[in-house]
Amino acid sequence: MTNIIAKLNRTFDHQIRLGIMSILSVNESVDFNTMKELLELTDGNLASHLRALENAEYVQVTKQFIGRKPNTQYQMTELGRNDFKEHLNALERLIKPNDPAEKNDNESNNKVQITKKVTLLKYFVK
Amino acid sequence: MFMVMNKQIEDIKEIRKMMEKSSKFTSINGLSLIIAGVFATIGGWYAKSLLNNQYESTDLILSLFITALVILVLAVGVISFFAWRKAKKNNQSLLNSVTRRAAYNLLVPLVVGGLFSLLLLLRGDMALVASSTLIFYGLSLVNASKYTFSDIHILGICEVIIGLLAAVFLYNGILFWILGFGVCHIVFGTIMYIKYDLKKK
Repeated sequence: MTNIIAKLNRTFDHQIRLGIMSILSVNESVDFNTMKELLELTDGNLASHLRALENAEYVQVTKQFIGRKPNTQYQMTELGRNDFKEHLNALERLIKPNDPAEKNDNESNNKVQITKKVTLLKYFVK
Repeated sequence: MFMVMNKQIEDIKEIRKMMEKSSKFTSINGLSLIIAGVFATIGGWYAKSLLNNQYESTDLILSLFITALVILVLAVGVISFFAWRKAKKNNQSLLNSVTRRAAYNLLVPLVVGGLFSLLLLLRGDMALVASSTLIFYGLSLVNASKYTFSDIHILGICEVIIGLLAAVFLYNGILFWILGFGVCHIVFGTIMYIKYDLKKK
């Protein structure tokens, strides 16, 4: 068990960062304001999490000007995509019911459902 | 152990929510589709009465064209108004990258289809107009459906099938028009209203 938990990526140990990575995994590039609106966060909060992901080289930042307004675009790096996928794999293994005797249990049925959902999510993060 | 599991489940919920929210346009309201369908049905009956009174003349084509245009503007207006209201209620802006992409994917086949149907109409080729509008509209929906509810995909397929049937049974154009633009929207609007709007209340 601890072994699997160890494989969960520490950088993603926060729902906001998971949210950012999820958004970037299904969009080519997303600007700061769209991200802020989607995650319902304040500027500072979002910026600090983005910086953490940037430092881990999971997101790539492109700054540009649209007219006079600064516009910051975020993109997922190859490394980010890989590690996010690894993280999803680890989540999947963690909640996968591995005891067949438990199968009829209601709770483990629930787990099967969630495992299926994770598999589906992974499909999007190619 | 259980605490760990709950956190992971919450994480997965968040991932799923963000993937959907950032890639899907969910401000379409079922009720607005129903209203648009009712408009189309009324417009269809009106066009049918026009056809019964006169037989093919430029005047008739013009009045049919104006009827169709009025219905289109009314339907698009109602759907956009409801979408704007729903987006405002959920604190989202209606003009974001998802809606822009959805609109682009909807408009490309729709504009081509509209121009093509207009050309048919101008050539006096009335027989295939109903069919071509339905087919192109259906294909537009199929094309844009990856950015919104999956029901729209099925609605698009239905429109295409009705459009093809309209080409098989020519000269019943108005009936297929009412079926495609009226009945289909009312049926799918009801389904979507029950599935997404009623549940949230």
